[in-house]
Amino acid sequence: MITVSNLKKEYGTVQALKGISFSIAEGEFYGLLGPNGAGKTTTISIMSTILEPTAGEVNIAGYDLRTNPIECKKTIGVVPQEIALYNDMSAQDNLLFWGSLYGVSKGELIKRIDEILHLFGLHERKNDKVKTYSGGMKRRINIASALLHQPKVLFMDEPTVGIDPQSRNLIFEVVEKLHQSGMTIVYTTHYMEEAERFCNRIGVIDSGQIIAQGTLDELRKSSSIKETIAIAFANLTDELFQKISLAWPEVKRFDQTIHFFTSNSKNDLAKIILNSNELGLDIVNIEIMKVNLETIFLSLTGKQLRD
Amino acid sequence: MFQLAFKDLKLFFTDRRAMLLTFLLPVTLITLFAFAFGGIGKAKNEVKEYDLPVCDLDLTEDSKTAIAALDTDKAVHVVMVTLEQAQEDVKKGNKDCVLIFHKGFADSLLYGSPLPVELQYDEAQEIQVSMLQRALFTTLAMVPYSNRNNAQRMLNKQFDKLIGGGNEQLKAQVHAQSDSLFKSVGKGVEANPKTSSSTKIAIGSDIKMTKLVEAKEENSPGLIQAVAGTAIMMLLFSVAAIGAGLLDEKQEGTLKKLLYSPMHPNNILFGKMITANSISILQLTVMFIYATVAFGLDIFSHVPSLVLMIVVTAYACSSFGVLLASFAKTRQQVQGFSTLIVLVMSCIGGSMIPIFIMPEFMQKIAVVSVNYWSIQGFYDIFWRTLPLTDTTFLTRILVLFVIGSSLNLVALRMFKKNILQIA
Repeated sequence: MITVSNLKKEYGTVQALKGISFSIAEGEFYGLLGPNGAGKTTTISIMSTILEPTAGEVNIAGYDLRTNPIECKKTIGVVPQEIALYNDMSAQDNLLFWGSLYGVSKGELIKRIDEILHLFGLHERKNDKVKTYSGGMKRRINIASALLHQPKVLFMDEPTVGIDPQSRNLIFEVVEKLHQSGMTIVYTTHYMEEAERFCNRIGVIDSGQIIAQGTLDELRKSSSIKETIAIAFANLTDELFQKISLAWPEVKRFDQTIHFFTSNSKNDLAKIILNSNELGLDIVNIEIMKVNLETIFLSLTGKQLRD
Repeated sequence: MFQLAFKDLKLFFTDRRAMLLTFLLPVTLITLFAFAFGGIGKAKNEVKEYDLPVCDLDLTEDSKTAIAALDTDKAVHVVMVTLEQAQEDVKKGNKDCVLIFHKGFADSLLYGSPLPVELQYDEAQEIQVSMLQRALFTTLAMVPYSNRNNAQRMLNKQFDKLIGGGNEQLKAQVHAQSDSLFKSVGKGVEANPKTSSSTKIAIGSDIKMTKLVEAKEENSPGLIQAVAGTAIMMLLFSVAAIGAGLLDEKQEGTLKKLLYSPMHPNNILFGKMITANSISILQLTVMFIYATVAFGLDIFSHVPSLVLMIVVTAYACSSFGVLLASFAKTRQQVQGFSTLIVLVMSCIGGSMIPIFIMPEFMQKIAVVSVNYWSIQGFYDIFWRTLPLTDTTFLTRILVLFVIGSSLNLVALRMFKKNILQIA
């Protein structure tokens, strides 16, 4: 459904994308993960045709992005990171407007709006001005506005940032339904649990390059890290953390807790405890975690996803 | 307290927009008003020449001498024209008036009859023309006496009238004394030519004043000036605000979302242009209807011309608003720029001060503003009652259309450039 080949984007001397390539099959749920400034939004912007690439090719549903941008646009739906709605218009009027831009007839549009508002649990408030909505409700309308023309491909850029749990769950349900209906979805997120829950395949992007790609299982297998030992200390200082880091290079500090990334927790746990005792560190809690996307990401990029 | 004041002053002096509105705008307006009211230059007693169209229908030595005498006046520069052309120019608002030396001027001088000199003028320019009339009166009053023989003849005629019929002996005595008097004056002139040539005797000669273009129905020039001038100035402020809507779209992310749609990016700007045009047309229409209801301005006799002028004025003004929005980065910038530009354009273009009271060079500068062409267009319709097909009226329509189209083209280029910064 989507083929991206050697995609480059330069802003003066800054290379935002350094020749990334990936392909996404029809009906696939593809997660694009990366820290801030990694190139996720640039990639989405190019695929959404609002940004011209410096080099490379993008093909969506058989249409070349450079030669046939309008057809590409008709094929895709975009849920931007920011809520982009007209606050002084009602939800229904907003949806009528956004849907009309895609050439959907008014009769058909009204029918679809009715269905979508039911789907997102906002039918009762369809005539209220958007400015009276909560952040979560606005975000639901923001997503709904990208679905009115029934796109084959949906780009979702951080669709659940800053919303209440109720709205998040509703969005998750809708996203799952859309995926089940056969829609191809490209999803960027900071939330690992979302990526782990939805994505068939994940591309990890860092500094303008795809550094790993595959299913969650494939990424787990390719990672040298198998487990994480999380130890909480009572008296961890910067100086003591420095000393620990010298002995254990693959560590990450979270306040009074250190995550030790290891391929053999049974062997390493005893050594870590011994080492901590020698340094005078008082252990409060120990937890051993299986490898997850967060740890894979950390091992691949050396950064946390929210960095 | 002082810390607060210091902080506020520091913020004030780093706020470019505040500085612009506080200092640059008033300074600019003071300068423009000073130029417009002719205040600049007067302190040095500089007198600006007025190009006076003069038509000589008498074509005698005496009429030519009189015209040459007029041309020596520092306030007047004589421009010889044909009567037809001059009247056409006045009717179309290109000239304020024309001074006509009718046939029989030389004979009138010879027989001491009232001089057949007529000033035909546009009533809308009455203030300007009345000032000119005073200057002409002084100069023309000297004309009969610039030639001693004429002067003596005219004086004798006046004495004869005063003495009345049947007193021929008394008349002959007076004529003999005036002959003696003028001979003495002649000797004095020969003895002191410099002083004598600069000393003139003014007795007076009327100039017939004829309105070539005058108020019809209820459409007085003051009302037209008030409605058209104010409407266009307020329209420019309105369209700047409408144009700023584009920046709101940018700031709120909806512009980016519009770009995701299959609509061509240029259509976003065209959509804004349509909005600005529609609201502008509506605003102007409402203003003219209000002027009709409240002040009796007759719009119904000129509907086709009025509709055309409203449409092109709306087009030119809305293009200005869209252009502002296309190069400004924020709504605040649009507000700052629009206040400055609209006030300056309104000042030089005749919205605030009628064009005819401005000095000539200011009148020439006025053509750069949308206000000028629109106001003159509305004068063409309501005052000069030019037909829709008149070339002067159509020229103003064309100029407004060209201004609008040029601004739109620049706006389109700027918009495309700015779009690249959105993503």
